[in-house]
Amino acid sequence: MARVLLIEDDAETAGVVLDDLRGRGHAVTWAATGPEGARAARGGAWGAIILDRMLPGQDGLAVLQDLRRDGDRTPALVLSALGDVDERIRGLRAGGDDYLAKPFALGELAARIEALLRRPVDSRETLLRVGSLEIDLIAGTGRRGARDLELLPRELKLLAYLMRAPGQIVTRAMLFEEVWNYRFTPKSNLIDVHLGRLRRKLEASGEPPLIQNVRGLGFTFTPDD
Amino acid sequence: MTDFLRSTTLRWALGIALWSVLLALTMFAFIYWQTAAYLREELAETLRLEVRAVAADPASAALRVDTWTAMDLHANHYGGLFGSDGTRRAGNLDAMPEHLARDGDADRVSAVVQVAGRRLDDEIWAAALPLPDGSTVVIAHDSDEIDRVRVTTLRALGLGLVPTLALSGLGGLLLARRGRRRLAATEAALAEVMRGDLRRRLPVGTRGDEFDRLAANVNRMLDEIEHLMDEVRSVGDAVAHDLRTPLTRLRARLERSRTQARTVEAFHETIDQGLAWIDQTLAMVTAVLRIGAMEEGRRTAFAPVDLGEVAAAAVDLFEPTAEEKGVHLTLAIAAGLPAIQGDRDLCFEALSNLLDNALKFTPQGGAVCVRLMRLGGTVSLAVEDTGPGLPATERDKIFQRFYRAEVARQTPGNGLGLSLVAAIAKLHAATVSVHPASTGGCRFDLLFPAARTG
Repeated sequence: MARVLLIEDDAETAGVVLDDLRGRGHAVTWAATGPEGARAARGGAWGAIILDRMLPGQDGLAVLQDLRRDGDRTPALVLSALGDVDERIRGLRAGGDDYLAKPFALGELAARIEALLRRPVDSRETLLRVGSLEIDLIAGTGRRGARDLELLPRELKLLAYLMRAPGQIVTRAMLFEEVWNYRFTPKSNLIDVHLGRLRRKLEASGEPPLIQNVRGLGFTFTPDD
Repeated sequence: MTDFLRSTTLRWALGIALWSVLLALTMFAFIYWQTAAYLREELAETLRLEVRAVAADPASAALRVDTWTAMDLHANHYGGLFGSDGTRRAGNLDAMPEHLARDGDADRVSAVVQVAGRRLDDEIWAAALPLPDGSTVVIAHDSDEIDRVRVTTLRALGLGLVPTLALSGLGGLLLARRGRRRLAATEAALAEVMRGDLRRRLPVGTRGDEFDRLAANVNRMLDEIEHLMDEVRSVGDAVAHDLRTPLTRLRARLERSRTQARTVEAFHETIDQGLAWIDQTLAMVTAVLRIGAMEEGRRTAFAPVDLGEVAAAAVDLFEPTAEEKGVHLTLAIAAGLPAIQGDRDLCFEALSNLLDNALKFTPQGGAVCVRLMRLGGTVSLAVEDTGPGLPATERDKIFQRFYRAEVARQTPGNGLGLSLVAAIAKLHAATVSVHPASTGGCRFDLLFPAARTG
């Protein structure tokens, strides 16, 4: 069970997020102001920090910058109001590890927090094996059981990202950011079509499905052993 | 009246009056100086000639001095013949004037003269020369005449100043009044603009002077403001309209399921549909805000961007969707493309919107082609499709917010995709345009200025 610190001034938003994350089994502590949040952040070992940009009388990024200056490397997700073009860049520059614009789907926040809590993933590993599935990122090959898979480079990347987070929810936006490496909210069906193709290749001989659709949110990779 | 006293009009009038007076004074001073100098020189010359004539004939010097003094009836002429001991032998000067050099030149000195038996102190112009017997002859003239010229001139000046001042003041007032009338018309028009009538324009004269040019410039500014206001108003209307539709649907749906839904599944279905509608409206609001932010021209995170990489990623993202639709999606990148200065995420978004648009309107069996090439100092990113194309009348409008072309009315979308492309282009100092494609559809061109290398 991971400890998560939520620094958010809006009680309504904080309440909903607290309930949701607690429901998913996380121990969440809420701080309503910047100074309170900064004190809490220094006072405990946190798995992740969720930080709102707009705190009363203070920019949430200042809190984060202070923490980073003091050598605190706790993964942080920065929340901010919608619409601003440079928001994300500012958030990441201040030391944020991820960024989410309000309003967001609770599932999206939870999936991203879980991804932060999972870190660090050893992304240098190039030979991945989960259940009957095996891929070699250097050779660009994949195998399910005894069957060779013909995977395009993009499909290999997608699969690698999913295999590194077995059993976890991966949202479409997360997949897009990781695999295409651009920050943009694509129409959901664009990603679904890619996943559909990948699934057909994985299940071509009638094998049990490895990738499940999570309604309205994204996908989960479930090992088949 | 206090308004008038404080006004530019009065200051102008006073300024013009003062200037005219200064001019008149300078002119008068010059004329006076010239006249006085002339008179003085004339007198001096007469005195010099006369004293030399007397000195040339020492025998009849006394007679000549008396003749000189008797010559005029106004008692302006003075003269004297003084012995070497200073005693007067002839003439009406009491004594040899002090400080008078005996060099035959005319000087202004003070002396005691006898006029009609009385002795008077007077200022005179005099010339003196020594005679061979040691005596001195002095020929002099009253300075009153020259002084009178000065007094007359000064009086004339004084008398002339009053009408000059009055006339120039009047002229200044008239000129200033005229300026004020033009200003008043402009002020009146501006007041109406300030009251909210943005269609009002300032009067522009036919003279084409600075004032007219200023008025014309203000009018152009008002044109631009009116245009922007119209745009803001229409965007506001469009946002409100586009928000109302999903909100109305949402409301009806919530109300209906509150009374009719019987199972948890039915409620879930309603909530999911409601969330989808809310997401749709939020996406629109976000797009409007982002366009606004970009149009403010903030560009803090620009870095060299390889458009080839952006295009490859975008085509890769859309390729399976194109294939499912039966549209052939191709990418052609010219070799040796320079980088551009920009934001790679925004470039990706612009191209995605163009691709989304192209795929939406290209029928099955058609083709969409993304082309990147160098055109002079620019990098051209073109998206060409084989869709129905756009009539010429719609080509300029499609980049406006919420504009939806005739062919787009039946397809889903909020009419913001191409405005977002236009805003991103503007942020990158790029131009975006749409042309008929050789293949019959549309070709969207984005021309980015190439980044300076080195």
